[in-house]
Amino acid sequence: MDAFLSPAYALLDFLLPLSFAEPEFMKRAILAVLLIAPAAAAVGVPLVQFRMAFFSDAIGHSAFTGVALGVLLGIHPLLTMVAFGLFVAWAITRVKGRTGLSPDTVIGVFFSTVIALGIAIISAQKGLTRNLQAYLYGDLLAISGAEILWMATLCLAVMVYLYFAFNRILLLGVHEGFARSLGIRGRALEISFSLVVALVVTTAIRAVGILLVTALLVIPAASARNVAKGSVSAFWTAIAVSLASGIAGIAASYHLDTATGATIVLFAAALFAVTAIIRLARGETT
Amino acid sequence: MSPHGPSHTLEIRNLSVRAGGRELLSNIDADIRCGEVTALIGPNGAGKTTLLLAILGLVPFSGEIRFCRAEEHGQGTPRIGYVPQRIDLDRNAPMTVLDFFALSSQKYPVFLGRSRKSRAEAEASLGKGGVGHLIDRQLGKLSGGELQRVLLALALRGDPDILLLDEPVSGADVSGEELFCDFLDQVHKESRFSLLLVSHDLSVVTRHAGRVICLNRAIVCQGATTEVLTPETLGAMYGSGAHLFSHGPADGHGHLHGGEGK
Repeated sequence: MDAFLSPAYALLDFLLPLSFAEPEFMKRAILAVLLIAPAAAAVGVPLVQFRMAFFSDAIGHSAFTGVALGVLLGIHPLLTMVAFGLFVAWAITRVKGRTGLSPDTVIGVFFSTVIALGIAIISAQKGLTRNLQAYLYGDLLAISGAEILWMATLCLAVMVYLYFAFNRILLLGVHEGFARSLGIRGRALEISFSLVVALVVTTAIRAVGILLVTALLVIPAASARNVAKGSVSAFWTAIAVSLASGIAGIAASYHLDTATGATIVLFAAALFAVTAIIRLARGETT
Repeated sequence: MSPHGPSHTLEIRNLSVRAGGRELLSNIDADIRCGEVTALIGPNGAGKTTLLLAILGLVPFSGEIRFCRAEEHGQGTPRIGYVPQRIDLDRNAPMTVLDFFALSSQKYPVFLGRSRKSRAEAEASLGKGGVGHLIDRQLGKLSGGELQRVLLALALRGDPDILLLDEPVSGADVSGEELFCDFLDQVHKESRFSLLLVSHDLSVVTRHAGRVICLNRAIVCQGATTEVLTPETLGAMYGSGAHLFSHGPADGHGHLHGGEGK
């Protein structure tokens, strides 16, 4: 498996000739961040437009139950986590569409239901807690070559999806009826976007953990909204924030011996603060 | 116009919309005539926006909505243009007017840049509406009147057969309102689309609409503007205290007012 990755390792040696990037597990961690952070930020731009931060949080927490189900059924937890995340995303979107209840209400119901299910399973199965640790806080430094390839595939799929769907998703976020009058099939687009968000969220959990995964999607896009006026600069600012905080977070966590996922999120939050200050300095308060 | 008088662009037969166990609209029969301006009036909660959404296919309904395309517009399904009352966008949303145009006109994603063609098209459409100067402004920071003219420019770009306008002058100041209506009159004369206009403002209705549909969950009455807008029908719709030419939201009947005859 690692034979596929050796050219990428060599490239990293050339681009980042620093001590923290030397060990192979660090190279894998850096590659993982370079793949998953921009994918999460790119999906985060329309996500924030849609006010779906809570949705991505609910999907993230459903992973808790997905992992528990995997251990219970004897299937690899990564598979059940992704599958369960996709199921919850689909269910929330369907129930929201059918009942006409407000999104946060539907998400609130699902959020607590999946967590309750997860806790019920874990409390019945002694010895499960140890397995969960890596998912709660993320375990970037233990990522395998196979997972890197999965992340690369996902990153590519997200790029292809956004290439074709980005414009329509943003239009749908501005006004559903108006988008529909332009021939956009709102419901299908909403479901496909929810599923893509679920894929990105469940994959990113390996990097930063269940508790922090929403940050990877929301903070870069939120920082971009502080400074960008147009769609082009908003998108690329979000990507830049995600990459900068990802690399800086890995480097700092290596030297400070802190949890990698949390350190990355702290750097992203610092960049959010910087953009907020820039905004205030420009005299734009509202 | 066809020699046989105006044909129908839109025929609504026995349309009902139910939601949450309540009948929002019941047994609506109405025709929107080709090339005419039809105003849809009624009190708050009368189901005006719901009717527009049903025409757009955005809410489930029973009954029938038939689109008939006038011959001079060619073959195929008619295009519906739609100008919503407001949009769901934060003031700070990173989206310019040009971005908004490009979202619907270019194939590749807007984050890769806006094509020259998008910009030229947007300039032309906005210029026609007299709002060319807004092209690089943020969409969320436009005033209500500016936003509606941008939305109108976008809705007109595809040469619609039917244009649905939801409260076109809400949120606009008086001069903006007149500009908007004049512009609408002008493009309507040029392109002869059928216009369905939701309005609370009876002065706008009497000046611009040839036909009126009065709605209060069911059709109260419909016909030529001069025949329909009588104190009796308005009373039936808004309650007996309402008068056509009294400017009296204070009487508890909402936005009914007729600015001109005051």
